[in-house]
Formats: sequence, C-alpha cells, structure tokens
Amino acid sequence: MPGTPFEARALRDVSLSVADGEFVGIIGHTGSGKSTLISYFNGLERAKSGVVFVNDVDLGDKDTDLIAVRRTVGLVFQYPEYQLFEETVAKDIAFGPTNLGLDAAEVERRVVHAMNQVGLDASRAKKSPFDLSGGQKRRVAIAGVLAMEPQILVLDEPAAGLDPAGRQEMLELIEDIHRSGVTIVMVSHSMDDVGRYCDKLFVLSHGEIAYQGTPAEVFAHGDALHAIGLDVPECAKLAARLRKEGFDIPEGLYRMEDVARAIIDNIGKGGKA
Amino acid sequence: MSNAIIEARDVSFRYESGLSDAVSHLTLRIEAGEFVAVLGRNGCGKSTLAKLMNALLLPTGGEIVINGLQAKTEDDCYEVRKSCGMVFQNPDNQIVTTIVEEDCAFGLENMGVEPALIRKRVDEALSAVGMSEYAHASPAMLSGGQKQRVAVAGVLAMRPKIIVFDESTAMLDPVGRRDVFALARKLNREEGITIVWITHFMEEAAQADRVVVMDGGRIAIEDSPRHVFSRMDRVLSLGLDVPEMMKLAARLRAGGVRVPNDIMNVEEMAVALCQLKSKT
Repeated sequence: MPGTPFEARALRDVSLSVADGEFVGIIGHTGSGKSTLISYFNGLERAKSGVVFVNDVDLGDKDTDLIAVRRTVGLVFQYPEYQLFEETVAKDIAFGPTNLGLDAAEVERRVVHAMNQVGLDASRAKKSPFDLSGGQKRRVAIAGVLAMEPQILVLDEPAAGLDPAGRQEMLELIEDIHRSGVTIVMVSHSMDDVGRYCDKLFVLSHGEIAYQGTPAEVFAHGDALHAIGLDVPECAKLAARLRKEGFDIPEGLYRMEDVARAIIDNIGKGGKA
Repeated sequence: MSNAIIEARDVSFRYESGLSDAVSHLTLRIEAGEFVAVLGRNGCGKSTLAKLMNALLLPTGGEIVINGLQAKTEDDCYEVRKSCGMVFQNPDNQIVTTIVEEDCAFGLENMGVEPALIRKRVDEALSAVGMSEYAHASPAMLSGGQKQRVAVAGVLAMRPKIIVFDESTAMLDPVGRRDVFALARKLNREEGITIVWITHFMEEAAQADRVVVMDGGRIAIEDSPRHVFSRMDRVLSLGLDVPEMMKLAARLRAGGVRVPNDIMNVEEMAVALCQLKSKT
C-alpha cells in the first residue's frame, strides 16, 4: 500500500530469466513476493525499479504495447473460477478472443481447441459454467486464457483446493500444455509438485530470490528451506536422513523411484530377513 | 453410557436443486474429545456433512444429535451452533469487522453477552490462538494463517464443545497450514474440544485419531489413519492419496526390501531401514 504507513517493499533486486519452452516453478511462503513478481510478467504492474523483458520487449518502456504483451503472456490467477461470469462455458472462453477482434469462425475454432486442451467435453459448451464442479470451473477459466493462444502461461497455485486426484489431473493438464510448446511459470506451495514437473525453481523469501536451480540443487538446501517455512519432498528428507545413518545414497535424489532404487542397492537381498 | 457428542443416524440431505442426496443414509458417531479427519473427493458430501453438524442445514432424512440436542427445526439451530463452531476454507469470507478483537467479539455481541464477559472471553480466545498482540490490528494486514487463527478465536470465544474445520488450511501456505493444524490439535488435547477436520491433505489426516472417508454421500471407510492408508489401492480408487512414505514402502517391498506396509512418515521409514541394514 504505497503512500500509507503500511507501505512495504514486496520485492528487492530480483533477477531471473526463463527460457523459451521451460517449465519453471516459483515457490515461497505467503508474502514472499510471488504474486507481485508474476504481476510484472505481463505488465499488469510496472516495476518501481529494474527492468522486465518479454521476448526482448521492455515492459517498462512507455511505448510498449501492453495489450500485445498480455496476448503473449497469459496469467491465470489463484482460484480463477471466481472470475467466470458468462451464461455459457463457450461464451466465457470466447470473451478474450472476441475482444481481440477476431472473426466468429476463428473465435469458435479457438474455443473448441481450448476446451479440448483442458479436457472439457464439447457437450459442456452450452452449459452454464456455474453448474459445473469446482475443478471443471477452473478448467473453463484456464481455457479462457488458453484461447488467447499465449506463448507463455503463468499460473498462480493452479492446484490449490483440489482433491488429490483433481490435483494430479490439473498438473498433468499443465504438463500437456507445456509439451504442446507453451512456456510455463507455475507458482506453488508444494515442493512435491514443482519437484515432479519443473525444470528450474526459484525460491523467494522476503522479496528476494533465496535459492534457484534445478529441483535437485534447490532441495539440497533442506534445512535452510525449512527455516524459511518451506519443505523439501518427503523422499529428499528421507535420503538426507539415511545418509546421516551411513547409507550410501547420492546427493540430489528426490524422486521416489530414484530414492527407492538407491535404498534397494544399499540393502539388497540382505533385507530379506 | 453413551459419550457420543455427535451422532448421525441414517442421515440424508438433498439440496432443493439436487437430483440425488448429497449425504445419503449416513450413520456416524463421534465421541467427545475425539479428533476425526474427514476425507473424500470434491463433491463427496464432506461440506454438506459439516453443515449438518452445526445445523446450517437440517437433515431431509434421519436424525442428527449434537451435544445431546437434536437438530430438527430452525429453532434448534442457535443452541446447536453454541455447541458446535465452524471454521471455513476462505478466511476472508468469515471476517466481518475491521479490527481483530471486534471480529472475535461479533458472535458474543449477537448473543447479548454482557460487555465485561465479552472482554474476558475475547482476550482469552486471542491468547489461545496466539494472536493477542494483533488484537487492535486490521484483519486486512494479516497473513492467511493469521486470519484463520482469528477466525478460530471468534469461534472459541463462543466456548463450543466441537469445532468443525471445513478445509480451513486449503488456502494457506505450508507454514500457515502447520500453524492452524497445530492449533486445532492443541485445542483438542488441552481443552478437550472435539475436532472434526475436513481436508484434502493426507499428512494432516495421518495425525488424526480417526479417519472417515466419504464417497457419494456415504461413508466408504472409517478407521485409524494407519489402517485406512494401508489399504492403498482402495484409498487411491476413492480419488485420494496416501502418505508418500507408504507409497515408497510399497515400492521397496516390490523390490525385495521387507519394510512394513503401514509406514506413515519419514521417521518410521528411517528406523525400519536402519534395522534392515544392521541385519545385512
């Protein structure tokens, strides 16, 4: 809240880069600056100092066409299903592309394609989005952003509030979108989720980047992450614990299959007591 | 003698627009002082059950008795809600005033409680949730976890016997989640408040006294966390998950490492593996 006694600096000297086609995770506790950071990625807010480039376009430049930037960078907020408003699923998804001034046939094509991408059955097109389940509503909201055909998709906690099966489906859906060539930036609280899907992680703490690197590199800071209110995946925790107990487990393992293999190598057939 | 504080007998509930029962012929008994986790996929009837427990909804079939009081008509609601408080998912939806302590006092004021007693109860409640120093703060300045603790204080000030938490940690970060869960556990252990904890987080359910898994408005499994989660295939088929270490245990057993199949956490797994290693 700038200009009030509650003014606080949300971000400080943050530098990061995301390459075309990457799947990047941003993690941090509440108030760490995650949401502020992603609001810069499509020029929703402008940095008070420093620069943000998207495809080499300077978002801080007065002459930059921010509308074009927002076509390139799709932003999916937390609980995006609260933003649905249209009478039918198809109309809601069509809202963005229609505003781009596309002709009806192109809008229709995009709506069909976006529904397909998020796994919504075509029979839902004429239904009211408000009659759908929470998970389905969220898919409609994401389809609305995909219909803008962004090159980069930024999602803030896309799996929050979903049951475990729904969570899994949502993450796989995002992975599918990634495989279709879209660059993904995902904000998450779940180390398990970012560990499973992301190529690269940025850990934010008090508005600064505390750690960055591959999941293996970041999870190596187990105790330090714990101190800033984050956790490493359970299997990484176990691996660290077993190393202390004299097991021969290489650093950097966090996936269940890798940790299981290392344990089996250590105990081998001798475990059959 | 029965010590049940919540007793649902063959309870059904159907929403006016509903084609089928959201809760269907459900029978459940919760003892005073228990900490019961309720799991189930979205739409399984968990939240409907929660609302039946504090008479936000009244059964359309069967009967439900809360702290000795049957919730049958609108007139019973207020008495039921004095015994059973509720904390919802989104803290922003349940905070009504602009100052933390006023928010906590809201329920008591509406009950017409004497000002001096309100003061005392609010101070005690804020202290119990560790938010005394924020008594004069604006809720808008708090983190999600802090807001949720204020919401709990507002419920506590009413001195309920039971608190139902309906996915109260879903919107919080890991620290906020741990805080609010630990608070519920503490209120259960130290104050003897019965807790019904609805969640999608398996690691929270793993720390409950008992787990109730719902599916299609009915109870699918009801047992200790260890027994529930060791039925891994069944739990997965209900749209849920099991603790990571239990999955790892299954994988290790398939690979010839004879760890127990009911391992719940990293500590138990580490101990089991160290024992096996010492035998090699």
